Amino acid sequence: MPQHISFDDQIQRNKIKSFLLIVIIFAFFIVLGYIVSMVLDPSYFFIIMIFATIFSLVYVVAGYYKSDKIALASVKAKPASRTEHRMLYHAAEGMAISSGLPMPKLYVMESEEINAFASGRDPKHSVICFTTGALKKLDKQELEGVMAHEMSHIANYDIRFMTLTAVLIGMVSIIAQIFLRSLWFSGGRNREGKEQAILMVVGIVFAILAPIATQLVSFAISRKREYAADASGVKFTRYPQGLANALKKIKNESVSSLDKEHRVSKAMAPLFISDPFKRKVQGLFSTHPDVNDRIRKLEAM
Amino acid sequence: MIFWLIGLGVLVLLAFIIYYNRFVTLSNRIDNSLSQIDVQLRKRADLVPNLINSVKGYVKHERGVMSEVTKARKEFMTAKNFEGKVKAGAQLQSALGSFFAIAENYPQLKANENFLHLQQELAAIEDKVAYARQHYNDSILSYNNLCKKFPGVMFASIYGKSVKKYLEIPQEARAVPKVEF
Repeated sequence: MPQHISFDDQIQRNKIKSFLLIVIIFAFFIVLGYIVSMVLDPSYFFIIMIFATIFSLVYVVAGYYKSDKIALASVKAKPASRTEHRMLYHAAEGMAISSGLPMPKLYVMESEEINAFASGRDPKHSVICFTTGALKKLDKQELEGVMAHEMSHIANYDIRFMTLTAVLIGMVSIIAQIFLRSLWFSGGRNREGKEQAILMVVGIVFAILAPIATQLVSFAISRKREYAADASGVKFTRYPQGLANALKKIKNESVSSLDKEHRVSKAMAPLFISDPFKRKVQGLFSTHPDVNDRIRKLEAM
Repeated sequence: MIFWLIGLGVLVLLAFIIYYNRFVTLSNRIDNSLSQIDVQLRKRADLVPNLINSVKGYVKHERGVMSEVTKARKEFMTAKNFEGKVKAGAQLQSALGSFFAIAENYPQLKANENFLHLQQELAAIEDKVAYARQHYNDSILSYNNLCKKFPGVMFASIYGKSVKKYLEIPQEARAVPKVEF
């Protein structure tokens, strides 16, 4: 089975990429600490470096172990109740059986739009979150199709890399934005020369970094990853039409309904099954592959 | 020369270990998916008494169908081996199928919250049985591929592993449940 081997490869690649990402983020804070200490006063070098090391350690460890919680909290998701969302549980249990994966924890987020995402660090610690809109508008087969797609992200370890990217890099870009803004507002006050210089340097580093970080988040999702999840999702349901119909419903949704609720952070966007920002143009930098193309591929299966 | 021989020996040993572990992993997966089928079949059988209780007051004239369901359940509970369970489970499924078809004629029953819940639950279990079966057969497929392909076929004969049989759906389960009015 050549297909099987390629999935194993993808799992391996995702694990390596996740590790590299952690190393890069860790190194980034160390280097930042180094720059700050050099500019400020070399005699503070050790204190600042110790602080930077502890901070970056805590940052990546928390990012690794709590990424799913952070992702869920950022969209204000609540645990799904077994009595209220029975269909969701049935779909998840069915897909867990057919894929042989452990049952993920289920969450629901308040949104009219049809969407879902999976998160976690490995299949044993995985979560799947559906929007209330998806639960309302999708029928059983469609729900199972979307569920299978999310389960394949779990099986392929896409969730580890994608969530880490969203959380670690997303936080860097948030810190950058806060920093840039505070720099702007505090510009009028008098400060000592050195302090000013540090703020300038850090500000410049972040100013360069912020757009790069946002771009990296977009690259975390590759079309290949989505197509692979569609394909192996069908392996779980044996019913490509289910996911195809769900994607059609997503496509035909009115965009206006979600304009009001732009609560999803940009860093989180790649995690979802369809782009929560619904960019009209499919370009090089769009985070999700074209829905029409996905439907076409599913219907050809 | 001696280094080459040692290197070769290590490689061969490594291959033996890797293939042994793959056989173990895949046959564990088969066992696991088999028990998953068992779990779902059992869950269904456990729900039947609740179902019978919830419809008792409504469906008085359908003794035949109801006894069919009870009989299939009893057969399942007393089945000794897995094959017997699967067979009885399939009978139970078709009996429940005709039972729910008849229940369509009872509007009060269809308004009963408890009954609706059980109906949903049983439908979901039916799906899960199908998925468990699918996963079982998928696991068998990977195992058999390992047994038959080169170089797995060599290790299979060394370790005494042979291809396993797929789970067949019993004949009577394939037939559409008969509904009589």
